[in-house]
Amino acid sequence: MVLKINVIRTIIVVAVWLALSICCFFKQSDKASESERRYLSQFPEMSVEGILDGTFMTDFEKYTLDQFPMRDTFRTFKAMACYYGFLQKDNNGIYVADGYAAALEYPMNEKMILGATDKMKYLYNKYVEGNCENVYITVIPDKNCFLADKHGYLSMDYAKVFELVKDNTNFAEYIDIVDGVLDVSDYYKTDTHWRQECLVDVANKLSLGMNMGAVTKDKFEVLEADTDFYGVYYGQAALPMKSEKIFYLTNSILEKCEVYNYETDKVTQIYDMDKMNSRDPYEMFLSGAAALLTIENKNATTDKELVVFRDSFGSSIIPLIAEQYTKITLIDTRYIASDLIENYVEFNGQDVLFMYSTILLNNSMTMK
Amino acid sequence: MLFSSIPFLYYFLPITLLMYFIAPKKFRNTVLLLASLIFYAWGGVRYVLLMVVSILIGYISGLLIEKAKTGKTRKFLMIVSVVFELSLLIYFKYADFFISNFNAATGLSVSLLNVVLPIGISFYTFQILSYIIDVYRKEVPAQKNVISLATYIALFPQLIAGPIVRYSDIEKQLNKRTISFDKIYEGAQRFIIGLSKKILIANQLGEFCNIFRDMDEKTVLFHWGYAIAFTLHIYFDFSGYSDMAIGLGKVLGFEFLENFNYPYISKSITEFWRRWHMSLGTWFRDYVYIPLGGNRVSKSRHIINIIIVWMLTGFWHGAAWNFILWGLMFAVLLIVEKFLFAKKKSKENKENLCVSAFKHVYVLFFVIISFVLFNSETLGQAMGDIKGMFGMEVISFSSEETLYYLRSYLVVFIISVIGSLPFAKSAVLKLSQSKGIGTIVEIIKPILLVILLLLSTAYLVDGSFNPFLYFRF
Repeated sequence: MVLKINVIRTIIVVAVWLALSICCFFKQSDKASESERRYLSQFPEMSVEGILDGTFMTDFEKYTLDQFPMRDTFRTFKAMACYYGFLQKDNNGIYVADGYAAALEYPMNEKMILGATDKMKYLYNKYVEGNCENVYITVIPDKNCFLADKHGYLSMDYAKVFELVKDNTNFAEYIDIVDGVLDVSDYYKTDTHWRQECLVDVANKLSLGMNMGAVTKDKFEVLEADTDFYGVYYGQAALPMKSEKIFYLTNSILEKCEVYNYETDKVTQIYDMDKMNSRDPYEMFLSGAAALLTIENKNATTDKELVVFRDSFGSSIIPLIAEQYTKITLIDTRYIASDLIENYVEFNGQDVLFMYSTILLNNSMTMK
Repeated sequence: MLFSSIPFLYYFLPITLLMYFIAPKKFRNTVLLLASLIFYAWGGVRYVLLMVVSILIGYISGLLIEKAKTGKTRKFLMIVSVVFELSLLIYFKYADFFISNFNAATGLSVSLLNVVLPIGISFYTFQILSYIIDVYRKEVPAQKNVISLATYIALFPQLIAGPIVRYSDIEKQLNKRTISFDKIYEGAQRFIIGLSKKILIANQLGEFCNIFRDMDEKTVLFHWGYAIAFTLHIYFDFSGYSDMAIGLGKVLGFEFLENFNYPYISKSITEFWRRWHMSLGTWFRDYVYIPLGGNRVSKSRHIINIIIVWMLTGFWHGAAWNFILWGLMFAVLLIVEKFLFAKKKSKENKENLCVSAFKHVYVLFFVIISFVLFNSETLGQAMGDIKGMFGMEVISFSSEETLYYLRSYLVVFIISVIGSLPFAKSAVLKLSQSKGIGTIVEIIKPILLVILLLLSTAYLVDGSFNPFLYFRF
């Protein structure tokens, strides 16, 4: 009896171990991880040089981690142990509260924020000063602003962030888009970004702040994108979360707008439906990350033009004010060096808007 | 290669064990040696040659010492080979320390060698030294088979982070060892427990320490949290590694001696060092302290012996002043205990609860302080950390940030404190031995082990924090 137990318990442990090992050897490599939105490491090339300098070993270790069988299941197992076993507040800096997943954005990095305002000042001095009169700035809070403190998570002092930006960009008129119109429900539960269908009031505030016309709900039709949206935090949190729907606002004017991408030299529409099946369906708004775009609107309600220095949050809100401008130029200085902008954009009387999220401001080293 | 890595757990180990078990008994040492060389080469191919040279010198020295006809020749050969092995260690580990201190003292600027420290050199050098000295002392015969000796020195379970296995302890096992389901299960159990200690506890405490280091505004409470976290971290990291080494040894049929025995329950520093890194402690006792005369000398000479041994113990851990001071700190505490407390102890047969509690607090206090010193990159940082613990360099006692991280890691702290005490193990042992429940416990155990293995794998796959502390020694 004792012998039998000894044999059985040995077999249980060894069998699980061996089964996983066999799976490691024979599992076919995946190209990419959908949940993490990245390409996975492949089996490294074997060479004498690589073995001698250790790069083969390093790459092989990365490969084994990336290609581990049932990788996502194991990551979920870890996340659940972290939250429900060890009762940790966050897992790799990601937490879930009220059904919303968010990344801790803490501490506030004053140097980074001042670095960002310095870069904006540089752009103003180089391009805007003397060429454009109406210059505005607004700051988009990330969802921690409404979620973290309430649930006992560390968060930046957002009031201080807004004040810092305001105090150090006196060349621009500050527009507050937070007070009274933004809430955590205006953000996707599994993603960093905000939901366009909830931004009409924000767009209205922004538009009025720039002395343009009111933006109202009745100007748009709300459509549902045909996709199950799992945001960036879904993969990072590795917890079971439901997919979300992406809604977008459109009308006959927006449908006729033409979006020109300087990098790809392609003309698309404001909503790029091809991106709905991409890794990040949020890229359907103005085709996602792009250094330089223009939105041309032949049916604009005014003859004004706008230049926006922005990050990805801008992609979903700019369409809501697009019908009022004949041309909007969107510049993302994470992807184009500030000094190169003059090769593509002429600053000549346009309205100028600096619109950045607190996430970018607090990590402004990515601004070129 | 790390034990706590996917390549080791699911590629190297299964293949090695498969080859080992199917190989005829007479080739098993060869299989182990080849596997150990691959294991070592994974961390840096170029240093395999260095280890092989060290082994060959040890092998030849052993044979020559045994064959030498006179005591003088034996001694000469022993000294030459010890000096050779030590000079390799000194060159690779301590040369830059000596040069930088020489530069600081003389104002010269001799160029540093910038030599990369070969992994595990301190461990395998000490094993070779123990072999050479034991042969010289005629405590063991010289090993005639170079494969057997190389297997002993390069044996992958204990190659890069100990325990320091003495040749005399496994001499017979090199030629004859038994393998059974029981031993494989016990070994696997010990390995998985060690793996879990490392990945589920030590790594998380390490993350907490890193958060402390990265923090701009540190508080008194966070300084203490860090000091306690590191004290627990180093225990779970190192004892976890030793558990894995002992477990693997068992699976392969070896019996390695224990390296840790719940050091944090000690009531004196003397007891602490009988329970902490026991293989290193006994090595220094047998090869340095006793040859210096041990305690069978005058009081002043005895004190000097203690200081030498503990300075060397500190220096063994790293080529930096904080390690030397760390060793000297223990020397002072041990001297105080030996010459002051020992006399009082003999008068008091029974101690009350308060005295017992005070002794625990005394040991833990100095051990915690010692590990703050141990984990500092510079003496300035050590002083800053210690001052911070006593509110001498910080602004506030606590902060929102401090409380957030303490709350977030509270369960890890509780589990690690419980795990560092023997009560949980005793309780499981008692349950296993009781009728009825014992059978259930025995049935549940392998299931729990599988869960721990899968959970540890999950933490690895998620790519969290994972370095082993003792690799740098």
